[in-house]
Amino acid sequence: MSCKNESIYQPSITICDEVRDEIQDVKTFFWHFEDPTKEKAFRTFMPGQFAMVSLFGAGEIAISLPPSPTEDKLFFTTRRVGSATTVMHKLKPGDRFAVRGPYGNGFPMKQYEGRNLIIVAGGIGLIPLRSIILYALHNRSKYGKIQVFYGARTSKDLLYTENLKQWQADKGFECYLTVDKAEDGWKNNVGVVGSLFKMPGVDMPVDNTTVFVCGPPIMFRFVLADLQKMGFEDQNMVSTLERYMKCGVGKCGHCCIGVAYVCTDGPVFTLEQIRKLGEVI
Amino acid sequence: MRGRLIHKSDLLKIVDVLRADHRVMAPFNGRGRDSFFDEVTDTNKNDIAIHVLNPYYPPKRFVFPHMQKLLKITAGDKPAIQTIVHDEKLAVFGMRSCDVEGIFHLDRFYLGNAFRDGHYETLRKNLFIVNMVCSDAERDVDEDCFCVCADAGTAAKGHFDLQLMDLHDESGEFLAVAGTPAGEAFFKLPFFRKAEAAHVARRRAVLTEVRKHFKTATSWYSALTNFITRGKVSDETWKKVGDRCLECGGCSYVCPACTCFTVTDRPTAEKDGFDRVRVWDACALSGFTRMAGGHNPRKSVHDRRNRRFFRKLGHYFIQREFSMACVGCGRCVRVCHGDVGMPSVVEIVRRETAGSAGAIDREKP
Repeated sequence: MSCKNESIYQPSITICDEVRDEIQDVKTFFWHFEDPTKEKAFRTFMPGQFAMVSLFGAGEIAISLPPSPTEDKLFFTTRRVGSATTVMHKLKPGDRFAVRGPYGNGFPMKQYEGRNLIIVAGGIGLIPLRSIILYALHNRSKYGKIQVFYGARTSKDLLYTENLKQWQADKGFECYLTVDKAEDGWKNNVGVVGSLFKMPGVDMPVDNTTVFVCGPPIMFRFVLADLQKMGFEDQNMVSTLERYMKCGVGKCGHCCIGVAYVCTDGPVFTLEQIRKLGEVI
Repeated sequence: MRGRLIHKSDLLKIVDVLRADHRVMAPFNGRGRDSFFDEVTDTNKNDIAIHVLNPYYPPKRFVFPHMQKLLKITAGDKPAIQTIVHDEKLAVFGMRSCDVEGIFHLDRFYLGNAFRDGHYETLRKNLFIVNMVCSDAERDVDEDCFCVCADAGTAAKGHFDLQLMDLHDESGEFLAVAGTPAGEAFFKLPFFRKAEAAHVARRRAVLTEVRKHFKTATSWYSALTNFITRGKVSDETWKKVGDRCLECGGCSYVCPACTCFTVTDRPTAEKDGFDRVRVWDACALSGFTRMAGGHNPRKSVHDRRNRRFFRKLGHYFIQREFSMACVGCGRCVRVCHGDVGMPSVVEIVRRETAGSAGAIDREKP
């Protein structure tokens, strides 16, 4: 790639295909690249990687990639929190924006082959972890036991409800749901995510297991404490960090914590690494 | 050494030759202590300052501009995005050794690592550097300079195209050294003459003499690097540094080795037109790490000070870029209202840490 023709900061035009309301203030945007060769190059991404999304005039933001590379669709799921996501939430089918990437290290899915996978998500923390679940289910025979623990505030705050239905019906793995506040008709557990670990019939293997945790900071702390009590070791617990990012390629300096640039050295870190970086937990 | 002699009355001829196909920047004296880099024109040519205190605003901006347009964006129904390339030959005459080392540090940061920054690369490839060695203890060096501690001066060891140094003898000769083939090409010009061994010896003597005049020879980095890398510096020490920081970001803006920037889209006069611009950013500012929604993982000022010095002096980063991100130019000392420039921090941390923790634990890896 010649530096004179295309810079590392140059995104490619993308077109919004469909917008789906997930929960309040959270929408999923399906999209594709205008240029099919760019799409082909982009589809080499791995679970856990992210993309830099340009909303013209509002700026560029880092967004994780919830789709698994084994699916045929590209989409983002975002909550409306800042100036760029506010503009994003006004996108309609046919509207254009721009994307560059994929960036980041991603989850080393090959390394996990032969291991049990436990996925613990709270709220919109399911977004970056969704791709692991789909990827592992697509390559089901390569992985051991797969368990998903997902908690949200209420049943109306559960993301990807279609997937959740499929996952609960799937006999090949276990999917447990919980809400903080139950409403009429809720048949699953009520309580924090950690309460799922103690439910009768839940057997979480400690040996040869990798745990993925993502969620709000308070849930993160409590779940870690629970998992540690159960005997999970730091190097077998994995999370993905989010930081303010401006470039995605290790230059702008905003995401640098400890010795790591989250954009190029992360965003996926083991808990062992996170503890060494400091500033996180 | 490919040394040549040039008489001081011929120095500006180098500028003339460069001006044939370059925009040329050179230092000028302002009022009082002030000095600045400006474009050389026919009118101001004779005012170029040969011996001058280094300008506050670093020449880093000629490769990493304070504000730089990266992309031209046309939004609307059929959006288009174009990379903006500023392809123009530029020469800096009279860049000080610390700034030359600073640019070399930027080279390793922007062109090394996983991604090459093409915007930087274009500007850098177009830059011709004429390094002027600080040789006069009165006129070139002030009490805040500490390049000798940062191993960046007073004579740059490389990374320039042409290096000039006043030999301070009655003949008025300067010794010139070429760092690149482009610099060596100048030696074909008639005003460069062969240097004798005596001139090289004289150069060494002048350099030895000027080193004696550095007052801030206390910046003992190796200790700080050691303390910071091993996590020996206590939160209380960083709090002391943080309490003196006014969060103005000045230290980063004048630093020749700082690399951080932020990116914004600026509307242009054209319909649906935006320029994506990168602007220098500073880790001292509280918004540096603030995320959408307001969560800020690095809220307190002393955490941010800790960050700056860890990034500059942490062993991991020194290994990554093959040098620490400080060249001893002394600018952070001059601009800091709270006196927490690099040498002060070295001093505070060294005193506090050595005092509280005792000797370095050599047993631990």
